[in-house]
Amino acid sequence: MKRLLYISLILILFTNCEDVIDVDLNTAEPRLVIEASINYFKGTTGNEQSIKLTLSAPFFDETVPPANGATIQVSNTSGNTFNFIETDNTGIYNNSTFIPTIDEVYTLTIDYEGETYTATETLTAVVPIDYIEQNNEGGFSGDDIELKAYYTDPAEIDNYYLFEFISDIPVVPDLNVNDDTFTDGNQIFGFYTEEDLESGDIVTIRNYGISNQFYNFMYILLQQGGDSGGGPFQTQPATVRGNCVNTTNPDNYPYGYFRLSEVDEVIYTVE
Amino acid sequence: MILVLKRILYLFLLCPILLQAQENFTLSGTIADNQSNETLIGVNVIISEQQTGTVTNEYGFYSITLPAGTHNIQISYLGFKTISETLILNGNLTKNYKLNENTESLDEVVITDNIERLNIKKPQMSVNSLSIKTIKNMPVVLGEVDVIKSITLLPGVTNAGEGSSGFNVRGGAADQNLILLDEATIFNSSHLFGFFSVFNPDAIKDIKLYKGGIPSKYGGRISSVLDIYQKEGNSKSFHMNGGIGLISSRLLAEGPIKKDKGSFLIGGRSSYAHLFLPLFDLDNIAYFYDINTKLSYNINDNNNIYLSGYFGRDVFKFSDTFENTFGNSVVNFRWNHLYSDKIFSNLSLIYSDYYYGLKLDFVGFDWVSGIKNVNLKYDFKHYISNDFKLEYGLNSMYYKFNPGDIQPINDDSGINPYKLIDKYAFENAIYIDAEHKISDKLSVSYGARLSMFHRLGQDELNVYENYSPLIFNETFGIYEKADPIGTETFSKSDVIESFANLEPRLAIAYQLNDKSSVKASYNRMSQYLHLLSNTSSPTPLDVWSPSGKYIKPQLLDQVAIGYFRTFNNNAYSLEVESFYKTIKNRIDYIDGADLIANDAIEQVILNGEGRAYGLEVLFKKNEGKFTGWVAYTLSKSEQRTPGRTAIETGINNGQWYNTPYDKTHDISITGSYELNKKWSFSSNFVFQTGQPTTYPNGQYQYNNITIPNYEARNSSRLTSYHRLDLAVNYNPNPESTKNFKGEWVFGLYNVYNRKNAASISFSENRNSGTNEATRLSIFGVVPSFSYNFKF
Repeated sequence: MKRLLYISLILILFTNCEDVIDVDLNTAEPRLVIEASINYFKGTTGNEQSIKLTLSAPFFDETVPPANGATIQVSNTSGNTFNFIETDNTGIYNNSTFIPTIDEVYTLTIDYEGETYTATETLTAVVPIDYIEQNNEGGFSGDDIELKAYYTDPAEIDNYYLFEFISDIPVVPDLNVNDDTFTDGNQIFGFYTEEDLESGDIVTIRNYGISNQFYNFMYILLQQGGDSGGGPFQTQPATVRGNCVNTTNPDNYPYGYFRLSEVDEVIYTVE
Repeated sequence: MILVLKRILYLFLLCPILLQAQENFTLSGTIADNQSNETLIGVNVIISEQQTGTVTNEYGFYSITLPAGTHNIQISYLGFKTISETLILNGNLTKNYKLNENTESLDEVVITDNIERLNIKKPQMSVNSLSIKTIKNMPVVLGEVDVIKSITLLPGVTNAGEGSSGFNVRGGAADQNLILLDEATIFNSSHLFGFFSVFNPDAIKDIKLYKGGIPSKYGGRISSVLDIYQKEGNSKSFHMNGGIGLISSRLLAEGPIKKDKGSFLIGGRSSYAHLFLPLFDLDNIAYFYDINTKLSYNINDNNNIYLSGYFGRDVFKFSDTFENTFGNSVVNFRWNHLYSDKIFSNLSLIYSDYYYGLKLDFVGFDWVSGIKNVNLKYDFKHYISNDFKLEYGLNSMYYKFNPGDIQPINDDSGINPYKLIDKYAFENAIYIDAEHKISDKLSVSYGARLSMFHRLGQDELNVYENYSPLIFNETFGIYEKADPIGTETFSKSDVIESFANLEPRLAIAYQLNDKSSVKASYNRMSQYLHLLSNTSSPTPLDVWSPSGKYIKPQLLDQVAIGYFRTFNNNAYSLEVESFYKTIKNRIDYIDGADLIANDAIEQVILNGEGRAYGLEVLFKKNEGKFTGWVAYTLSKSEQRTPGRTAIETGINNGQWYNTPYDKTHDISITGSYELNKKWSFSSNFVFQTGQPTTYPNGQYQYNNITIPNYEARNSSRLTSYHRLDLAVNYNPNPESTKNFKGEWVFGLYNVYNRKNAASISFSENRNSGTNEATRLSIFGVVPSFSYNFKF
C-alpha cells in the first residue's frame, strides 16, 4: 500500500526520458545466497520441498553461480530432521519427506565451505483467495488489464502477505508484500497490472502467509530490486539482512531468507 | 518577557544617545516609484559632505540623523533618475521621494546603486539579492521565470537536479531553508514536484537570500533565509500585465482603491492541463495554479496597512484511479507604524496552511495531511544614530500538524478509517540585533535570538522501555522497532517537552580602503521542525514533524570569513567567502525506514550530525550593456550517524558520508547583453560535480528476481552535470508611446542537448531479464517562447 504511493509519484513524473548506459562498477567478494522457501500449498501434503543455494556475482553478469556441495538440514521442535540433498551440482537441494505443520517452528542448518549458517522461522498460515476480479480499463493509461485477487483478512491479529503474480509474458515475476495496517479484518486484494496482458494469457496467482520479519525484509528488498529503483524519490539503498546467520564467521553473513509459508494458488486465464 | 526586552533595549539605547552632543535632526520618509507609488527597497540616500548615507528598508522607509544646517542629498537607484537636492535641516523632517524611471539610452554609464550592489561597509555578509528584473532576464527551462531556479546560479546554492524540489544552501538540506513570502513561511516551494516554484514572478518585487551571518530577526531554519517581497500594487492608475508561455500563462492587475492612498494587486497564474504530460484522449489532468493578492493602504505618514494572500494548488488526476492535490494558502495582515521618525515597526499576523490530498480510487483510499500555522511577528527597526541601529522584536507561532488521515471513499473499500495522531507545538522567540559603526573602518553587528519551543500534548504518545524506541539486533546487525510498552495521552494545553536555545549572531566588517573590506561572521541557529524524507529530494508527500521527546532540535554553528572588493566605481565587484558549519541532531533513517503514514517515526530514526565547508567566489559586472556574473563554489557536505553504544553500527557503519547534495565543484556563469532597445540576449552556463549516489557492487537472485547489492551510502557519483542555456528578448516597439507594450522571449534550454543524469538506477529489465544501468535524464534541449505584455 505504502509502496503504491511512491510508485504513483514516479509514474507521474517519468514516462520516457530513460536510456541504458554503461557504468563501471566495483565488485565485492561473493557471499552465499540462501533461498530456503518452504511452500505448503493448500490441499497438498507439502512433502516435496527444495532449497536453492547460489552465490552473489558481479552486477552485470548474466547468471549467478550455484553453491554446490553444501549439507542442509531442517529440523522442527518435535525432533524431526529433514535432509536436503543436492541434485547434480545444480545448487538445488531437495527433500521429499518434509512434514509441514502450521505454526511449527523450524530451524535451518547449512554447512558450506567449512562455515555453518543457521536460521529459525515459523510456518505461517494464510487465508484463501476468495475470487479474482478483472478490469480492462485499468492502469494509469486507462486501457490496461488489472487483476485483483481478493482475500479476507482475519480481524484483530497482525497479518502479512506476499503476493506473487507470474504471467507467461514477462520474465520477472511481480511480487508484493501487504500488511493489514489499514485493512484489518476487511476483504482486500492483491493487485496486478501488466501493460501487455491480453485475453487468453495465463496468470499464476499465489498468496503466501509470511511473518512480520519477512515482511520487513521483503519490503526493503523490493525497494532495492525490481523496477521500482531510481528517480529522485529513490530511498537510500541498503544491504538487506535476512534471518540467516553465519555462526562460524558472522562478518561473512549470507543473503536471502529461510521462509515457511502456507500458500494459496489460483491459476487464472485472462478473459 | 517584554519587560526584559525593554530593559535590554534601554541599556543599548542609552549609551549611544549619551554620546551625542551636537544638535542633530532626523530626516526620514519613504521612497517610491513615481509611476506606481510602489515602494523601493535598497534605495541609496547619500549625503556626500557628511560622508554618510543610508538605504531604504523592505518597506521603502529610510531614516538618517544629520547635524543642523544645509545638506546636499542624493537619492539614487538603478534604472531610475537620481534626485539631487539641497535641504535645510533645522528640525526633524519627513521627506518622501518619488523616483522617475530612467528612459535615457543605456549607452551612458549611469552610476547608481540598487539592491544587488555589493556593500563593502556593512557587516552583513553571505547575502545575495536579486531584483525581479534580473531574474526575468535569465534563460529558463520552458520559458517559465523561476525564483528558485535563479538562485541556484548563485555561489553556494544548488539543487538536487532537474525535477527535484527545493534548493540546498552551503551543503544544507532543503528543509533547512526558511522561505518567506511577505513575512509568511512557505512550507513547500514547488509546483509539479519541483519543476517550477510557487512564486509568480509578476507579483514579486525583490528577493534576498541569506546564506550566513543571518541576522537574529530570522530563525527557525538553520541553512538559509530566502526573503521574498511582493509588490504592493499601483496606487496611481490601473495597469495590467501578463504573459503567455508554453506551460503557463499569467495575468496580473493592479490599481488604486483610493488614488495615492490605497492599491490592490491581484495576480493569477495557471498551467495548461494536458500539455505537460503527453496523455491525450484520456481524462488525465495535471496542472497547477496560484493566486497572489494584496491590498495596501497608506493611512497617513505614520501608518500603512497591508493585507496579502496567496493560494496555490497542484492537481493531478489520472482517469478515475488517482487524484492528487496539494499546495499552500497564506493570509497575511501587516501594519507598518512609525512610533517616531526613528522607530519603524511592522506587525504581522499570518495564517498559513499546507494541504496534501491523495485519492486512490482503485483501492478506495483517501489521504489528507497538512500543517496549519498561526504566526505573530512584531519587528522594530530603531535608527538611534547614523552609527547605531537596532532591530528587535518577537515572534510567536502555533502549529497544528496533521500527519495523515485515511478514509475509505466508499462502502466497498477494504480500507479502514485511520487517523494518525495530530501534533501541536508552540514556538516563541525574542531577538535583538545592533548594527554599530565603531569607526570609519570598522562596523559590527551583534545580537542574539532566544528561541523557545514547546511541544504540546497529544493523544497516545508512545512510551518505550528505557526511552528507546528502536533496538539494535546484534545478530543481524540491523535496527528494529521497539514495541511500545504503553501510551500516554496529554491535553493540548500541556507542555510535554520544551527546548530553549540562545542563538548568538555576530558580524564584523573592516574596511581596508575605499574599495575593499574583510568581513567575518558567526551564527548559531536552531530548527525545531524536521521534514521527514529519506529520498534524495523532498516529495510533496513528506510530512513535517516537530521536535519532542524523541526528536531533538537541530543546532547549527556557522563561521564565515570573506574578502570583498569593488572595481572601477562598483562597475565590477568581487566577493570571496569561506564557511564552515556544523549541525547537531540531524536525523537519519534506518535502512528500510517507512516514513509514510507512520505514527511512530521515532522507531525508524537515529540522531546524527552534519558538517559542511567551502569556498565561494562571485565576480560580477554590474554596469553597461553587458552585465552578469561568474560564481564558483568548492565545497564538501557530509553527515554521520554513529551507533548509540559501542556495539551498534549506526548508519553507514558510523562513518561520515556525503549528503545527496554534496557537489564538490559548482560553476555558474550568467550574462545578459543589451544590443539595443529592441534586442537583448542572455545566457547561463552551469557545471556541477555529479551528485553523490550509491552503486551496486554485486547482485544475487532471490525468488526469481535480481537484487542489486549496494556499496556504502553515497560513495559513488553521477556523471558531471553541465548545460548551456540561451534566451533572446525582442521588444518590437520600444519607442512606442502607446500604453500597450509587448515583448517576446525566445529561449533554448540545454543548447547542446546534454543528457544529464538525474539518477542512474540498477535493475533487471522486466522483459529480457538482463541487468541494466538506466539513466534518467529529465530535460534534453528544450526550446520555448513566451509573450509578455503590459498596459
